[in-house]
Amino acid sequence: MQIKKILNRDEIKEIEKIIEKNYGCKLNLKNLFLTGDEKIWIAGENVSTEFFSSVRNCYRIGIYFGKLKRNYKIKLSMEGATIVGKKAKRNVAIVDDKEAREFAEGNCIHKFECIDCEKNNFVIVKRNDDTIGVGILREGYIENLIPKARRMR
Amino acid sequence: MLPDYEKFFISPEWKSIRVNTLKIDKEDLLQKIDFEVKQIEWYEHGLWAKGEISKTLEYYMGYYHIQEAGSMIPPLFLPLEEDKKSVVIDACAAPGSKTTQMAMMMENKGVIIANDVNIKRIRALVHNVQKAGAMNVVITNQDARRFDLNSQADYVLLDAPCTASGKIAKIESIVKKWNYARIKAMARKQKKLVEGAYKVLKKDGIMVYSTCSIEPEENEEVIDFAVKNFNLEPEKFKIKGLKTRNGIKKWNGKEYEGADKCVRVWPQDNQTEGFFICRLRKY
Repeated sequence: MQIKKILNRDEIKEIEKIIEKNYGCKLNLKNLFLTGDEKIWIAGENVSTEFFSSVRNCYRIGIYFGKLKRNYKIKLSMEGATIVGKKAKRNVAIVDDKEAREFAEGNCIHKFECIDCEKNNFVIVKRNDDTIGVGILREGYIENLIPKARRMR
Repeated sequence: MLPDYEKFFISPEWKSIRVNTLKIDKEDLLQKIDFEVKQIEWYEHGLWAKGEISKTLEYYMGYYHIQEAGSMIPPLFLPLEEDKKSVVIDACAAPGSKTTQMAMMMENKGVIIANDVNIKRIRALVHNVQKAGAMNVVITNQDARRFDLNSQADYVLLDAPCTASGKIAKIESIVKKWNYARIKAMARKQKKLVEGAYKVLKKDGIMVYSTCSIEPEENEEVIDFAVKNFNLEPEKFKIKGLKTRNGIKKWNGKEYEGADKCVRVWPQDNQTEGFFICRLRKY
């Protein structure tokens, strides 16, 4: 795994600020690192990212958290959204069971309730306290960003 | 072969799932799902489940993992719940059911090096680790017979590739693939894997060797080889509520050392696949 940068405390704080701005919640993240494509990864607190990045044929460390985007935005992975979604207070779309299933299957959804959502920004789609995934709020609908491999089949 | 052997194949009505406590408590999950479940008597996070279990939102969200009940047994032979911050190597990890189970037992603490030699199978491992939210997992793509990790582990799970004859009652094709030459070839590979796993295990560390094969050549004979060639001592281990039997001591004129401390899980005893497990301590 080609690691571009293991983030120090200040750099992690920057990520936390981006999350706070977009999702209105404070997180205390640890052990984040970046790969070349601006992807952010998160590993367990006891995982030495530096050590394992030098291990032969190291394929993956921790899990994919999200990707940094322009304009101080972040596209969260499903698992990143699950971590953030527990505390998120803005850019959250609440859906019912039927819409949740539609979204999980990879479709755009039109019936949802927005909590402080910003148009053309990423939103976390939730059913009650469950995080279903991430989309982009468009005019009257949420564009689905769940990767094919992760969709409900 | 028996003329009516097809009658022995079962298509079980009850499948098994493991609650992913990295994402949800069992009680909360039980309130969300609408298929029928029963507790697996010997494992608090395991459930028998009947109905459509692979097309639910809860499965999609990674709240539970569909895992054959027998495959939940080998990780339970490691004391990971008491020693969460340990370093564990899962030598032949793909597709990752046991890896993610161990991550859950360790509550995402410590480190699990989940290794597999097959790059295609690693993709399934990556998917399952991500879906489970198992942050303490590092995935490597090495041949476990020749590990190059620059570190040693407190625990090694060697769930070795095998002929899978323990699945014989559920998967008919296993019968068609069965041949003695394949068993012998697999046993040779398994012995080399034990040697590779031994080298990356710390002194006083524990290795769990398991297969889903019922062939003595792939099981007791491998343990006999390990005990005679390395500083490994088999330890008796029991899981409350799980019906097990000792290993086979004699087979085809050979006597196996350590067989009385090995565990055999026969399909008819717990409605699982057949499994063989042995816990060995390095001295």
